[in-house]
Amino acid sequence: MTATALRDPTAETAEVNRPRKPPPQSLDDKTVALLDIGKMRGDEFVDRMEQLFAARGIATKRYKKPTNTRTAPVEIIQDIVSDVDIVVIALSDCGSCTSCSTHDLNDLDQLGIPGVNVLTEEFRHAFEQQCSKIGFGGASVYTPHPMQNRTTEQLHEFADSVFEEIVAAITSTNE
Amino acid sequence: MNTLANPDSSTLLLFVKAECETCQLVVPAIEESMNAGNTIEILVQDDASFLNELGSISDLALEESFRWDVETTPTLIHVGADGELARVEGWDREGWQRLLNMPTLGSDLPEFQPGCGSKSREPGIHETLIAEYGEPGICSRKVELDKWDDEMESCFEHGWTDGLPVTPPTDARIVRMLQGTRRDSQEVIGKVPPNLAPVTVEKAAINAVMAGCKPEYFPVVLAALEAALEPVFTMHGLLCTTCFSSPVIVVNGPIAKQIGMNWGMNVLGQGNRANATIGRALQLIIRNVGGGIPGELDRSTLGGPGKFTFCFAEDEYSDPEWEPLSVSRGFERGQNTVTLFQGDGIQGFIDQRSRTPEELTKSLAMSLLAVGHVKLAEFTNAMLVISPEHHSIYKDAGWNRKKITDALHAAMRRPGSELIEGAQGVGEGVVASRESETINKFWPEGLLIVRAGGQAGLYSAICAGWTGGRFRDQSQPVTREIKL
Repeated sequence: MTATALRDPTAETAEVNRPRKPPPQSLDDKTVALLDIGKMRGDEFVDRMEQLFAARGIATKRYKKPTNTRTAPVEIIQDIVSDVDIVVIALSDCGSCTSCSTHDLNDLDQLGIPGVNVLTEEFRHAFEQQCSKIGFGGASVYTPHPMQNRTTEQLHEFADSVFEEIVAAITSTNE
Repeated sequence: MNTLANPDSSTLLLFVKAECETCQLVVPAIEESMNAGNTIEILVQDDASFLNELGSISDLALEESFRWDVETTPTLIHVGADGELARVEGWDREGWQRLLNMPTLGSDLPEFQPGCGSKSREPGIHETLIAEYGEPGICSRKVELDKWDDEMESCFEHGWTDGLPVTPPTDARIVRMLQGTRRDSQEVIGKVPPNLAPVTVEKAAINAVMAGCKPEYFPVVLAALEAALEPVFTMHGLLCTTCFSSPVIVVNGPIAKQIGMNWGMNVLGQGNRANATIGRALQLIIRNVGGGIPGELDRSTLGGPGKFTFCFAEDEYSDPEWEPLSVSRGFERGQNTVTLFQGDGIQGFIDQRSRTPEELTKSLAMSLLAVGHVKLAEFTNAMLVISPEHHSIYKDAGWNRKKITDALHAAMRRPGSELIEGAQGVGEGVVASRESETINKFWPEGLLIVRAGGQAGLYSAICAGWTGGRFRDQSQPVTREIKL
């Protein structure tokens, strides 16, 4: 019996996560991108998020992906990089949106725009897996799952309940 | 057993096989030459006892045959201090006389007799020798196994399989697979989701080996991979989705017959190596290179058997008038193509009573309306695999692909009032604002028809499409030419 050597069929990617870019210490004079991933009902959550930032006196700018099933088009990524300082990506409640939105978070981070991905609790593991596989120490905040069958009021309550957590995730004082 | 020392200046090497008639023929010439004082190192490829009386040595491992790039037996090589000076292949009396400087050598033998193929050049053996003694040119990380490790089990332990055993990817097998393409092994084909990791031809070959492909299938695997990586195929979302779907591969063109694919009986089932392993190779690439592992980034709620493999050929033979899927999608008849569709497993369609094309159309439409949900519309695409017996009802009435497709779409238009959310007491449905519209079930280009299956049986199959298809311009099936 002789020893055999096989060849690795995988991408041989590194396992060590790259830390995300440090977010600003304060959101004063900063503009936050609210990136709607394009999933049904997500806009209702983002609507409320926009109101909450406005009430806090923080400027926002909205963006929307054409589909949650793909990573953001280069144009959107470039617009965000050009116009804002930090990004909140919402609201992933499925496998494809989680993976694609995590790539978007990573792509923006690498272009100097730190941020946070907002997902439903069910996709915590998927987010962690995707981060680990691309070697990225991304930030995330979770709402309850599921969200598709909730009323608009309930979606707004979800936004209310995680708003402080989101603000904390995009400011360095809480790092 | 003797072994060959490093040849010093002016050595004569002779490679022979016991089973080669020409090698047997030249024995008197060898004896004559040795009697005249020449020292010839005789290397035997197949039977270590052959020509022992002349001091032959074994090359059963074929290492020397490989290193000297022997293509024929017998091959006589004159080696000088700086390497090879001359060689003669087969029995060529004048050539042997010149090389051995013996003008009357073998005068009783015929002037010429061709030799046999060298054992080191036999298919399967040559790639093993490249892996063992040559430069296989494989760049992927080596995974060394202990001599007691079971190769198959190691593949499971490394997490490289879809749950079924895979063929262990050894260098010899990878070299053999790479001979199925002319493309450079280090060419990057694209980035495989969900990790968007670059995939080279070599990585694809490793996974094709594991899937069980033969080298002649490899161009189909590469075309399928390229189709899957076209942005509009939405492989990223398709892999990570909570839905059931995965790539369904339809092969058109003469290659289907040339590599022995199935388009007939049990076409969507098991039992055909090409069908089974081409689809599986794509899935393994997505798993191993892309990182699409169930429970991690493959978040399918239920999955489906198509996620192991789902690949078949269209029947382009039993009805030469039928327009193949690839032709309906803009390619020439006779061009080899793959069409990738984002689909689920099959929903059987049974109709043993329809006699006219109108009846069958209505009947098919009723079943097609159930794709995804009866009340959903323009939400997924669909593939209809129509069997020869069902198709003959259309054919006998003179209906071609276009007429069938148009009639099916027409039979699936419904009033929005029946479909809106809440209508018929069911929450699922289309948005309320479409209440007064007449609504199509599928996008006009969203119903793909493939003719395949056994000649007997009034059964067809509906393969529901993925929900990503609701973004009409963002997620579409893809057809791509197979480049040989």
